Amino acid sequence: MNPRLNTLLQALVILLVGAALGLAANAVSPRGLPLLAPEPAAAPEEFIPLKRAKELWHDGRTLFLDAREPEDYAAGHIGNALNLPAQSFAQHFGEIAPLLTPASVLVLYCDGNECELSHRLRESLRPLGYTNTYLLFNGWSAWRQAGLPATMTDKQ
Amino acid sequence: MKAPGQLSHKRFDWMLRLIVGTAFVVAAALKIADPAKFAMDVSHYRLVPPAMLNLVAILVPWIEFTTGALVLAGIWLRAAALVVTNLTAMFFGIIVSALARGLNIECGCFGTLGGNHVGLVNLAIDSGLFSLAALLARRSGNRPAQPFFAESGAHYLRLPPPEGLKPR
Repeated sequence: MNPRLNTLLQALVILLVGAALGLAANAVSPRGLPLLAPEPAAAPEEFIPLKRAKELWHDGRTLFLDAREPEDYAAGHIGNALNLPAQSFAQHFGEIAPLLTPASVLVLYCDGNECELSHRLRESLRPLGYTNTYLLFNGWSAWRQAGLPATMTDKQ
Repeated sequence: MKAPGQLSHKRFDWMLRLIVGTAFVVAAALKIADPAKFAMDVSHYRLVPPAMLNLVAILVPWIEFTTGALVLAGIWLRAAALVVTNLTAMFFGIIVSALARGLNIECGCFGTLGGNHVGLVNLAIDSGLFSLAALLARRSGNRPAQPFFAESGAHYLRLPPPEGLKPR
């Protein structure tokens, strides 16, 4: 047999054996994964009521992202929320990315009745596969006025 | 008589095999131990469609493991070294693409070796492995061609035909 063809066939067999071992090990392993990851849930309603946001916050598995500028976030934000400014998304996304998976449930908020930042943040996240996002209307003000857990600076 | 420090070809090949094979087996074992974590690491590169993440996390580590084990054992050495060369070239491209996009993510290559974030150290390790594997493939290619399956030792299993079946 042609030596090159021989080597190529052997390489192909190595790939196939490795793949078969992977499938077999995954089938018997307690840490096995479903072969195809479940599709992210269908896009939820654009806004969620404050009550639902509160439930998600207490659930502990939902990540709250503050779409405002770092100064606004530093002045006060929803408890445990992280800052991902919509206006400098590319610059800050890398800091948040390790905490996200495509299945992550995210609540995005900014502040004020006409705030567009949470929408913009959602539009930045969507093409990256993070589609499981909820928006909290008038987020920071609504949360603070309801007396829900928040992180405030001394100035406020 | 050999000059001091001079390695025989055989010993040099053995060292190449040990480095490349061990690196691949260890890297694979770290991923196999926690496939969900590896799937998450892969997702952060944003190159694989979400539905395919698990499949990649299941298959890639075992292909690495098989290849590394064959390199260590010296079985189908040239083919195994070529697979390592192609895999490391692919990993290099993926890391460069992450750096070019400014992604501040875990490499997912060798656990936390090379730092918590993908960077030049990971590129250097990958380049080193690529070079060693390419050298190994080249050196093992200088040997006389072996028939398919011969290097595995399967030819030892070929028994002579029974007496009655010998050709007349």
